[in-house]
Amino acid sequence: TENNSVRAPDLGRALCVITGASRGFGRTAARQMSRLLKPSSALVLAARSGDELRALQAELVADAEAGGGGLLVEVVPADLAQPDALEPEVKTILYETPPSLPASLGDVSRYAKSFTNMAEVDSYLSLNVSSSLCLTASFLQAFPQRPGLRRTVINLSSLCAVQPFRSWVLYCTGKAARDMMFRVLAEEEPDVRVLNYSPGPLDTDMQMLARSRTADPDIKKSFSNMFAQGQLLTCEASCTKLVKLLLEDNYVSGAHVDIYDV
Amino acid sequence: MSTLGKGICIITGASKGFGRALAHEVSPLLEPGSVLLLVARSGALLQELKEELHSFTDKQQLAVHCVAVDLATRTGVNETVRIVRQEAENKIDHVLLINNAGSLGDISEFRSFTDIETVNSYLSFNVSSALALTAGVLQVFPCRVGLRWSVVNVSSILALNALPSWVLYCTAKAARHAVFSVLSKEEPNVKVLSYSPGPMDTAMQVDILRLTGIRHCLYPCQESAAKLIKLLLDNDFTSGKHLDFVDV
Repeated sequence: TENNSVRAPDLGRALCVITGASRGFGRTAARQMSRLLKPSSALVLAARSGDELRALQAELVADAEAGGGGLLVEVVPADLAQPDALEPEVKTILYETPPSLPASLGDVSRYAKSFTNMAEVDSYLSLNVSSSLCLTASFLQAFPQRPGLRRTVINLSSLCAVQPFRSWVLYCTGKAARDMMFRVLAEEEPDVRVLNYSPGPLDTDMQMLARSRTADPDIKKSFSNMFAQGQLLTCEASCTKLVKLLLEDNYVSGAHVDIYDV
Repeated sequence: MSTLGKGICIITGASKGFGRALAHEVSPLLEPGSVLLLVARSGALLQELKEELHSFTDKQQLAVHCVAVDLATRTGVNETVRIVRQEAENKIDHVLLINNAGSLGDISEFRSFTDIETVNSYLSFNVSSALALTAGVLQVFPCRVGLRWSVVNVSSILALNALPSWVLYCTAKAARHAVFSVLSKEEPNVKVLSYSPGPMDTAMQVDILRLTGIRHCLYPCQESAAKLIKLLLDNDFTSGKHLDFVDV
């Protein structure tokens, strides 16, 4: 197949929304994306931590000004697990990285047979699956298809979406559910660009939780080894690859793309 | 293997359709002293089913219990586990849990799903409930030598393939497949089977026709149920696998 790597220079004049923007991959994405937004763009950052968001907001606004452009940056400190948080303010979604670590990773210190409490599973699915469906649906309603408007939805996926990991039932389930959800979107709305991006093993707080709390000894060891052997990726390196994918815009909508495929 | 052993067999969504057909297929294969728990919301329909099975109850000493609960609620799940625990007194050599209960959900455009409660309640019944029930039963019957454990996840081709307007159903089926895949990796002594039964002549298909206008070629429930039971009898499948009615 033809290697058609014609890259757009930037993301254009865009409304870019990033959830889970206060740290980790979300924060890196905010920084990288902001540099690719043309003047008159707006960046909306959502996460639970208002303080961290405001600090990031100040940083990005200052950087944009220093670069001669202007960037409108809005922050939405909200708990995505609460239904009220899903107000029209957060109208569009470009990223989904859940805000709170244990809430997003789930309890990896336990096995599937310990999840006898339905409410616990419900709460996990609400934050990690339902909220991303509802936010994305709101986005599509707020910005219906029209000529000249490009709509892109990115789901931060994982190897766990396609492969089972012992003691990771909630995380694997949430990721598998999300991948499928966004595959359905891709099938339904061919003009929406949908990407299930698996960022690789990132050197983040979530990774630290993974290697310290995983119940399964083999899985835990493999995380520890990756860390010890310097195999973890920086958020910057992974996000750079994501940006490449976005600018080249060649990916099959709905595809699960792993960083190692890029 | 020509029987399913002396077992406790739990079938959810047993009052109609595929679940009901499974009850019929499984009953002749359970050895004397076995227990069959039929779980669904409708006590009346379950009672009817129990009466249909009376020849097995009498001749084969099969104890059939109707558990009329709503598995969309934690009360329903906990009550089912409580009844399973009561039956744990009996010495059995096979636990067979068939997670069949499920719902179609709203077949609508992706963009229509802006209400989180709608999505939450769908996932709760179709995903959380199956995990919580399976976990509960696993706790009642921990793995031990001499105890065969089989769990079935009644799945769908839509666990693997995305279909426009079917976001809720596809998402839940994909989620369930992940739940049971992880379980199969964690529990080497539990045989886990995700079985996609194919389009059957059920009330759910009537709803599908009404909502989508699409008529599928439907198979009798009994045929698909018989195939599933045969898979369990033969016990050749790799745990965690996803098998489809048309492939077996």
